[in-house]
Amino acid sequence: MTPFLVLLRQRIRRDRLQLALWILGTALLAYASISAVYDTYGEEQDRREILGVAIATRTILIFRGTPNGISDGAFAFFLLFAWLALMGGLMSTFLAVRHTRQEEEQGRAESIAATPAGRILPTTATVVHGVLANLVLGLFIALALMANGLEVVGSFVWGAAIAVSGFAFLAFGLFAAQLFRTSRGANGISVAFVLAAYLLRGIGDAAGTPSEDLLHVTPAWPSWLSPMGYGQFTGAYVENDLTPLLIPLAFAAVLVGVVFALQSVRDQGASLLAGRPGRSTAGPVLSSSFGLAWRLNTSILLSWTAGAVATGLLATSLSSVVNQAATDTPAVLETLRRAIGSEASIEEAFVAVFYGIVGVLAACCAVQVGIRARQEEAHGTAELVLGTPIPRIRWLLEYWIVGTIVIVIVLAAAALAGIAGAGAASDPESLVPNVLEAAAAQLPACLVFLGLTLLVFAFLPRATITVGWTAVGLAAILGTFGPILQFPEWAIDLSPFAHSPVPAGGETDWSGGIWMLVIGLAAGAVAVLAMRRRELASGG
Amino acid sequence: MTTVLSARGLQKRFGRTIALDGLDLSVEAGEVHGFLGPNGAGKTTTLRILLGLARASGGEATLFGRDPWTDAAELHRRIAYVPGDVSIWPNFTGGEAIDLLSRLRGGTSDKAAYRARKERLCEAFQFDPRKKGRSYSKGNRQKVALIAAFATPAELYLFDEPTSGLDPLMEQMFNREVDRIARDGSTVLLSSHILSEVEALCDRVSIIRAGKTVESGTLAELRHLTRTEVSFAHDPAREAAVTAIPGIHDLLIDSGRVRFTVDSDQVAAVLPELARLEVQGLTVAPPSLEDLFLRHYGEELAPAEAEARA
Repeated sequence: MTPFLVLLRQRIRRDRLQLALWILGTALLAYASISAVYDTYGEEQDRREILGVAIATRTILIFRGTPNGISDGAFAFFLLFAWLALMGGLMSTFLAVRHTRQEEEQGRAESIAATPAGRILPTTATVVHGVLANLVLGLFIALALMANGLEVVGSFVWGAAIAVSGFAFLAFGLFAAQLFRTSRGANGISVAFVLAAYLLRGIGDAAGTPSEDLLHVTPAWPSWLSPMGYGQFTGAYVENDLTPLLIPLAFAAVLVGVVFALQSVRDQGASLLAGRPGRSTAGPVLSSSFGLAWRLNTSILLSWTAGAVATGLLATSLSSVVNQAATDTPAVLETLRRAIGSEASIEEAFVAVFYGIVGVLAACCAVQVGIRARQEEAHGTAELVLGTPIPRIRWLLEYWIVGTIVIVIVLAAAALAGIAGAGAASDPESLVPNVLEAAAAQLPACLVFLGLTLLVFAFLPRATITVGWTAVGLAAILGTFGPILQFPEWAIDLSPFAHSPVPAGGETDWSGGIWMLVIGLAAGAVAVLAMRRRELASGG
Repeated sequence: MTTVLSARGLQKRFGRTIALDGLDLSVEAGEVHGFLGPNGAGKTTTLRILLGLARASGGEATLFGRDPWTDAAELHRRIAYVPGDVSIWPNFTGGEAIDLLSRLRGGTSDKAAYRARKERLCEAFQFDPRKKGRSYSKGNRQKVALIAAFATPAELYLFDEPTSGLDPLMEQMFNREVDRIARDGSTVLLSSHILSEVEALCDRVSIIRAGKTVESGTLAELRHLTRTEVSFAHDPAREAAVTAIPGIHDLLIDSGRVRFTVDSDQVAAVLPELARLEVQGLTVAPPSLEDLFLRHYGEELAPAEAEARA
C-alpha cells in the first residue's frame, strides 16, 4: 500500500465511530425533523401563515433560512438547511484540525514526517478524508430526505449544497491549523468562522427583500459572504441550480492551495502566529489547586459568557421588535403563541425561549469544566498535582465548585445583558424581573449536566468527553427544538432543559427546577466521594 | 536504620495483564536506592502505587509506616516526585509551572529563600522559565519537574527515569543535586534502566524483571555475583599455560589479546599466575552492573521465549 493510502486508511479508522455518529446523527436529525414538519405544518394554510410570520418578524429567518415557497421540499429546505450545514461545517473544521495541527502539537506528526510519507502527504490525506466525509454526509442527507418522500433531484441538490459548504469549512479548518500553534486556537477560530457563516446568511435572509405574497425572500448581500448562503441559493426543489456552488468550491480550492503553500515553506511544529515569551514567575492565582482549576477554566468561561451576553441582549432587544410586528398583524401573535405553546405575552415567551438557549450555553460551559478535569488527567498534569499534598477528593471537589461558579457567572452575565437590552422595550420594568427569573431558572439543569459529567469522570473516565458533549448536545436538541419540531413527549422529557421552569404567564412552576437541583447536587457529591476509591486513569 | 519505604509481595493487575507479580522493595532512611529494570518491568507502576496514584491489587506497601493509598495527601508533604514522562500545562510558562508545584508542596513559605533556590536551579539546569509549556522539549519538561522537586526540601524523593531526556551535562547536574540532597539526609528512590547512572549514585540497588524483584543488595554485594574481566597481549608461546589457569571462564583470543573472566572473589588467586606468565598490557576491568543485568535477563529470557512459542 502506498503511504498515501496508509495515511488515508489510518484517518478513516481513527474517525470511524466519531464520523459515523456525526453523519448518521445529522441525517437522522434531517429525517426526524422533516417528519415533524409535516405533522405540524401539513396544511398549505399553516405554511403560508408561518412564512408570513417569519417574514414579518424577520428575526426568525436568522434561525431558519430563505423562504422559497410552500411546496414540501422548499418548505423543508427553508426550515432545515442552515442547521444541517452548521453541523456539516463543525464536522469539517474539527476533522481538519484533528488530523493536522493537533497531530503536530502532540508530536505525532513528527514521527509521520520522518517516514517516507513526509510533511505534505498527511495534509493531502486529510483533504481527501474530509472531502469523502462531506460527500458521505451529503449522500446520507439526500437519502434521509428521499426517505421522507421528497423528490430525488432536489434532495441531491440539497445534499450537494451541504457537501460543498462542508468543503469550504474543511479548507478553512486546514487554513486555521496553519495559522495557529495550538489545536485549541485553530478550533476556536474555525468554530467562530462556521458560526459567522451561519449568522451572515441569517442576516442576509433577515435583511432580504420579501416578495408580494410573503412566501419568498431575495437574500441581501451578507449571504454572498457565507458558504451556507451559496448553499441556499441553489433553491433546492424549486430552481435546483448547482451553479452557485461553484463559488464555495473555488473558495475551498484556493484556500487549500494556500494551505499547501504555507505547509511547504514552514517548519514542522511552527505556525504563522507565533507565541511570545511569558512571565517567569506565577501570579497569585496559581497558589493553590483551586486557583489552578479556576485558571484552567477562565478562557472557557470567557467564550461561553460572550455567547450568553449576546443571547441575553438579543432576548430583550428583539422582543420589542417582535412586539411591534405582533401589534401590526394580529395573526402573527396568534401563530407565535401557538408555536411556543404558552399563554404568555410575546415578550415573556421570547425571553423564555432565548434564556433557554442561555441555559444550554451555561450547561455547555459546565460540561467543559468537567471535561477539563479529564483532560488534566489524560494529559498527565493531574499526576503532578496529585503528587503534591492535594487529596483526590479535594481535587475533584474544586472542579465541581469552579463548575458551579462558572454556571452562575454565565447566567448572571446573560441576565445583566438582558436588563441592558430591555431599555429599548415598551415596558422595561416588567421585563427585568422576568429576565432575572428566566436566567435563574436555568441553574438546576446546568447543575445536572455538571454533575453528570463529573459522575462519568469518576466512574468511566475515558468516556467523559464523549458522554459529556453528547448528553448536552442531545438534550439541547430535544429540549429547545423538540417542542417546535413536535418530537414525541417522552423524548422531549428526557432532556433536563425541558424541565427548566418557564417564568411566563404569571404563575411559574418551579418543581422541575427543584428536582433537578437535588439530582444535580447528588450526582456531583457521589462523583466527588467516588474519588476516594478512584485510581488515576491516564491516557486513552 | 529505619525503613522509609517498604513493599512486600506487591501485585498489580490491569485486566488480564500482570504488571507487578509479588514485588519486594525496601529502602532505608538516608540511602540512595537504585531501582533497576528494563522498560515494562513495572518500575513506573510501583512508583505510582507508592505515590497513591494507583492502588495495589495485592501485597503491602508502606511509606514512613503509612499506607500510600489512604494517606496519600499527608504523605505527599514529605515527598517530592518526578514522573518518567513529565507533562506540563501547555499555556503556562515553565516558571509558572515550577512556582505552582512548589506552592502546592508548601515549599515557598520563605519567599526569598525559595526564589534563590529556584534561580540557582534554573541556572544550573540552563532552563529558560519564560517559555510556554507547549514549546518545551521532553528534556525541558523534565527539568520543570526536577527543578520543582529540588527547590523544595523533602524527606523522600521519588525519581522515575529522571535523566531520560537530559543531555550528559545535565545528567551531571542531576547527579550533583542528588548528592546534595543525600548529604542533607534525604532518602532517594531512583528508577532507571541506565546502569551507569545507578552505579554513580546509588548505595543499594534492587533489580526487577517482569514485576518481580530478582536481586537486591549493595553494589559491593551484587558485584560478587559478577565476574571481573581480565585481558592482556597474546603470546602464542604461552597459550597452553594460559588455558591452564584455574578458575577462568569465557576464554577468548582475538585481535592479539587474550580475554577471560574470573569470579570476582577469585581475582586475587589468579594474579600470581599472571605474574608468573609475565603478561604484557594487563587490564583488569571491574565488574559492571551491565554484566549482572545481562546475565539476569539473558538467563531468563530463554525459557520465557520458549513459553511464548509453545
